[in-house]
Amino acid sequence: MIEFQNVSKTYPNGTHALHDVSLRIDKGEFVFIVGASGAGKSTFLKLIMHEETPTSGEIIINGNKLSKLKRRDVPYLRRHMGIVFQDFRLIEKMTVFDNVAFAMRAVGENTATIKKRVPYVLDLVGLKDKMKNKPSELSGGEQQRVSLARALVNNPEIIVADEPTGNVDPELSHEIIELLNEINSMGTTVLVVTHEHELVREFNQRVIAIDKGHVISDNHRRGYSGYESENFGDEDYSLSYSEYEEDMDLTDDELTDDYSGYAYDDDEPDYPDGVVVMPDDQA
Amino acid sequence: MKGFGYLVKEGFKNVWSNRIMSIASICVLISCLVLTGAAALFSLNVSKLVEEVGESNETIVYIQPGYSQLEAVYVGKEIEKVDNVASAKFYSKEEAFEQYRKTLGDSLFSRIEDRNPLPDSFIVVMHDLSKYEETVAKIQQIEGVDKDSILNRKDFADKLTRISNLVTIISIGVVAALLIISLFIIANTIRATMYSRRFEISIMKSVGATNSFVRMPFLVEGMIIGLISAIIATGVLALVYQGVGMVVENAQSLFSFIPYTDLLPYVAVAFAVFGVFVGFCGGFLSIRKYLKMEGNEILGW
Repeated sequence: MIEFQNVSKTYPNGTHALHDVSLRIDKGEFVFIVGASGAGKSTFLKLIMHEETPTSGEIIINGNKLSKLKRRDVPYLRRHMGIVFQDFRLIEKMTVFDNVAFAMRAVGENTATIKKRVPYVLDLVGLKDKMKNKPSELSGGEQQRVSLARALVNNPEIIVADEPTGNVDPELSHEIIELLNEINSMGTTVLVVTHEHELVREFNQRVIAIDKGHVISDNHRRGYSGYESENFGDEDYSLSYSEYEEDMDLTDDELTDDYSGYAYDDDEPDYPDGVVVMPDDQA
Repeated sequence: MKGFGYLVKEGFKNVWSNRIMSIASICVLISCLVLTGAAALFSLNVSKLVEEVGESNETIVYIQPGYSQLEAVYVGKEIEKVDNVASAKFYSKEEAFEQYRKTLGDSLFSRIEDRNPLPDSFIVVMHDLSKYEETVAKIQQIEGVDKDSILNRKDFADKLTRISNLVTIISIGVVAALLIISLFIIANTIRATMYSRRFEISIMKSVGATNSFVRMPFLVEGMIIGLISAIIATGVLALVYQGVGMVVENAQSLFSFIPYTDLLPYVAVAFAVFGVFVGFCGGFLSIRKYLKMEGNEILGW
């Protein structure tokens, strides 16, 4: 579904945002992407959305190489994704209904479909009775659920949530991730960028840790418990990553086809529970 | 196109939500249209006049001052003898004086009545206008004819055409300048709307709206501004034209303006096309920058 092959990104000002990143996210996966601010998470998301293009390497989404993507096709790529922003990005003067409908209107859906679909999706996130409210009348958690409804309304295959709990009360963060989990269980691939490790630990899902532009660990289910503080910043993070890299060593033909043979979820080693220190905590 | 009605509605909303700037653009565009229209109507009328003058086969031949009326009649007989002259009708200086007094008013003429400065004249009609030049040359040789003052209508027509051309050139310059100004102002108006809606634009782009979809409301906005300007400009030009027409036709009876009702449909259509085109271009120019940007760039974060 999403595939990075030796992707590096250097900005014109010289910032090396990502360095030789290779990874693969399959259809239906739920993945946390963790890292300190400035680690390269935003660049990672921008590359997926094709807001930025990699300096080198290739990104493949749904079998399409993004380097071959024409400018006019970019909008259609984005229709496969629903984006949830940390700051919700809701339009203040519109009602909850209109905010969600806005995403459908933007892709040219007709009014009849919008009138059916929007209440359905708002019901899904538990906000059916707040349809006529303005965003300012809602709590942070509710606003984020509106944002999520908007991301969902065009029925995307991938939900990309950028710090979805960043502006939400901690007690409600759990609820948001729970909702994303539910959406994931309906078959949608979910990517959650976050730095809230508590949350990440609570949900037993794949975790990709990025630091200084490198993927420093990629732990599949059951595996995540953070990484040793001693190792942080070390070049020797190959332990958890090398195995994954083997899987990555595929030809293009294999990549775009069926991945059923590559179920690497189960053969990751278990890491002992212990004190974990995330890059953020050190800062 | 799907969602077209929605986009048009959004365009109207843009005009309304940014109405001060919209009004400014409309005013500038109206002045541009009215000036263009006035110049065009002026040159149309001049062409008509030139045509009428060219078709008329009457030429006025003045008699030298100092000739009595009787002497003048003899000169007239001589004129009639010239080939190609169909008739030479005597037009006395008293008749001419009365005519002027009628059109220009009594106040000036009553004081100079006893010393009429006008000469006697003949209205000469020719058979064949293509021999105009040589006929005039022959008449000029007749004694008693004021050689230098034969009102050569071709000269007059040429002069009018020259004036008309000059007016056309000047108005093209003025209209071009105004066009650039109105384009600039409309583009800025729409840019201001776009700035106030940049948040929505960034969301639209992130959910996969195509560029043409994002662009549409702003193009509609420009076209609405153009259309409103065209409608008002048509009205303004009608008032100006009829006002000027009345003044000119009161002053002289030689020439009548082309009635505005004949021109109205053309003016209205031309204005509408022109206004909508300028508005469209303004919208197109201003959104280009935004369409190249992505995500947070649009918001300036």
